[in-house]
Amino acid sequence: MKKIVMKFGGTSVATGENIRQVASIIADSVKKDRRVVVVVSALAGVTNQLVEEAEQAKKKDEKQIQEFTEKLIEKHVATVMEAIDNKSIQKEVELIIKKTVGELEKVLTGICYVGEITPKSRDYVLSFGERLAAPIIWGALRDIKLQTQCFTGKEAGIVTDENFGEARPLMNVTTHQVKGRLESLLEKKIVPVVTGYIAATQDGVVTTLGRGGSDYTATVLSVALSSDEVWIWTDVDGIMTTDPKIVQSAKMLPQLSYGEASEMAIFGAKAMHPSALEPVIEANIPVRIRNVFNPQNQGTLIADGEETKSTEVVKAVALIRDVAMINIRGAAMVGAPGSYSKVFDVIGKNNINIMMVSAAVSEGNISLIIRRNLLGRALSTLGIVLIGRGVINEITSEDDVCVIAVMGANMKGTLGVASRIFTTVAQKGINIRMIAQGSSELNVSFVVKEKDGAAVVRAIHEEFKLDQI
Amino acid sequence: MVGFGVVGKGVATILARRYAEKVKGYGFNPKVVAIADIDGTVVNPRGFKPEKLEAIKQRGYPISADPDFGHPGMSALEVIDSVEAEVVVEVTPVNIKDAEPALSHITRAFKTGKHIVTTNKGPLALAMPALTELADYNNVYLRFSGTVGGGTPMLEFAKRCLAGDKILAIKGILNGTTNYILTEMSQNRVAFQKALKNAQNLGYAEREPSMDIDGFDTACKVVILANWILNKKITLKDVSRTGIRNVSLQALDKASKRGNTIKLIGSINGEGATVKPTEIPKNNALCVSGVLNAVTFFTEFAGEQTLVGRGAGGMETASAVLRDLLDIRHKLASKVFT
Repeated sequence: MKKIVMKFGGTSVATGENIRQVASIIADSVKKDRRVVVVVSALAGVTNQLVEEAEQAKKKDEKQIQEFTEKLIEKHVATVMEAIDNKSIQKEVELIIKKTVGELEKVLTGICYVGEITPKSRDYVLSFGERLAAPIIWGALRDIKLQTQCFTGKEAGIVTDENFGEARPLMNVTTHQVKGRLESLLEKKIVPVVTGYIAATQDGVVTTLGRGGSDYTATVLSVALSSDEVWIWTDVDGIMTTDPKIVQSAKMLPQLSYGEASEMAIFGAKAMHPSALEPVIEANIPVRIRNVFNPQNQGTLIADGEETKSTEVVKAVALIRDVAMINIRGAAMVGAPGSYSKVFDVIGKNNINIMMVSAAVSEGNISLIIRRNLLGRALSTLGIVLIGRGVINEITSEDDVCVIAVMGANMKGTLGVASRIFTTVAQKGINIRMIAQGSSELNVSFVVKEKDGAAVVRAIHEEFKLDQI
Repeated sequence: MVGFGVVGKGVATILARRYAEKVKGYGFNPKVVAIADIDGTVVNPRGFKPEKLEAIKQRGYPISADPDFGHPGMSALEVIDSVEAEVVVEVTPVNIKDAEPALSHITRAFKTGKHIVTTNKGPLALAMPALTELADYNNVYLRFSGTVGGGTPMLEFAKRCLAGDKILAIKGILNGTTNYILTEMSQNRVAFQKALKNAQNLGYAEREPSMDIDGFDTACKVVILANWILNKKITLKDVSRTGIRNVSLQALDKASKRGNTIKLIGSINGEGATVKPTEIPKNNALCVSGVLNAVTFFTEFAGEQTLVGRGAGGMETASAVLRDLLDIRHKLASKVFT
């Protein structure tokens, strides 16, 4: 009797038909005598709409808000009609949706009257996406005669700090409460459906889990209930060796270590955010990325142990586009403590994330990679604050570059990997503009001109025979 | 102060008797601003004078009948919410089913920024990892040295005196009642039921003795030791537990022939936490008789260290409350200076 926490992402609950598929996957597991906890994201696109509406509400009037909420009801009710056959269940779920949207309308109207939105009220607005989706899954499960009960993250017992927008769970308090509320249901074979992404403070104020999102809810519940595995159901087979749009022969990776999976975060939405992996790493609970539309496929297993020990040195290669490189040069930086910190301070205060850093021991220059759309802002503030103060002589930039990241846990301690990577690039006649390797040795990143990016990825994919993984 | 039974009254007595010297010796000037009991409360925001505490104690229940400060019907939670105080001393009776009402008292105190000193094993046995996390998060202290060893500072000894070393395992006789019964059985050849009766007549055992003789009390203490000293996040249901109901005189005789005896031993080591009747040599440092408690800490470098003392009793436990209050005072003082 295995205990599994399953999370279903936005696209897997995008339409009524998809929700039926989700319900049949859950039913199949219940039939196999697994104890299942379901974590649900908002319907595809809804969270983004809520983010926008939350920002806009302060400038809108009541009528516009009403238009928005009507559309929201329409979308969800249409999904209900597709996903659920039983008329009385349809009605019941529809009522819950209308009541919930009614609450949202009041919140938005409040924001519109006050004319401001705080991080606290923003989290409250964002929580509605999941709160509207979970009852539909709950209804769809009842429709196929499963015993189930619906919870918000707060009702399930997830308690976080008060860092609204990016809240962290208090793991021990959460474990205590979640056990008390969900464990007895699992023993009775009742399937709890829990809203992802949202939780509450110790005083019951709604918070959201930020970038970890619904995956984070799944891993937190899994640790609290000591489940056997976490399954993240998405719309791809698993994590790939590279983007199949660049290399047609890209393969799905059958297994990854936690460390490797954390490095894969740069693959974006198709991988897991490192903070969502954090709870399961400590508890050593395996995570599986699986495809809702291809449930026969076993997906990518993320775990630490014999099963994820592999011989491949390099496992994946990623191409990160839309970045820009900034080179900062200054003779006075040499041997001057604190000069780098001035640079980082300026960029950090402008809310710009630095993706990659490289500086040689000569100390005379430092290169940074940031998102391309932020380049202008970064250059102008760096120029204003630092040039002419005796620290920095020159700032240059290149906005036609991309980052290539080569990943694999066995790179650590293996000699000659870098040499193979760079020889491969050199043989293509391509110049490397910047290099960085963290001391974890799981990842080598380097920068080339964007026009060469795809060719480099293909060459490395071939050199390390990733199509045969 | 929430709860005004034997321990609560003991705390009041010590405060009254030792007030002047506490102020002088430690610069410690505690004021009791409210006492909540099951049927009401007394509140005096300026603090009760020692004589007044004594008078409240003498008059007996309900304490809320006090003409000057009584608030009949005011609950402990209301007191915790509304009365200005730094510390809540939680000394209500133990409940190991759901730990209430103590669990609510403690969490409410944390949320309102008050430190907790408790002698109540229930909340710790059922939710210790959660409670320590909640205390940290709310930036308050949770102290409970009266829960293990009573007046004998077993927790502090391990936490402070053995700080640089690594404690690998803990083993001990942690319940005076069962130790009294087993001692009676082995030394005076009294059958279990008879020994239990004696213990009840002497006031060592409760009318409903299950908490002691089925090993629950020992298991609670094992949970507290495991969490606090060994940083193991366990709760009561993680302890494998056997009581002393089935210890026979024959088994004790057999053990005696081998130079051993049977004691109810609580232990935590790499394999887990257990409470069960265990045969130990009579000359072992742990082998204490009567209502005494003993605990041995197995350390990596300093060898085995055993502490022996009276494990329970109202005044002994009350002295532990004072110890905890002083500890919090020291902690707060060092915070102010750094």
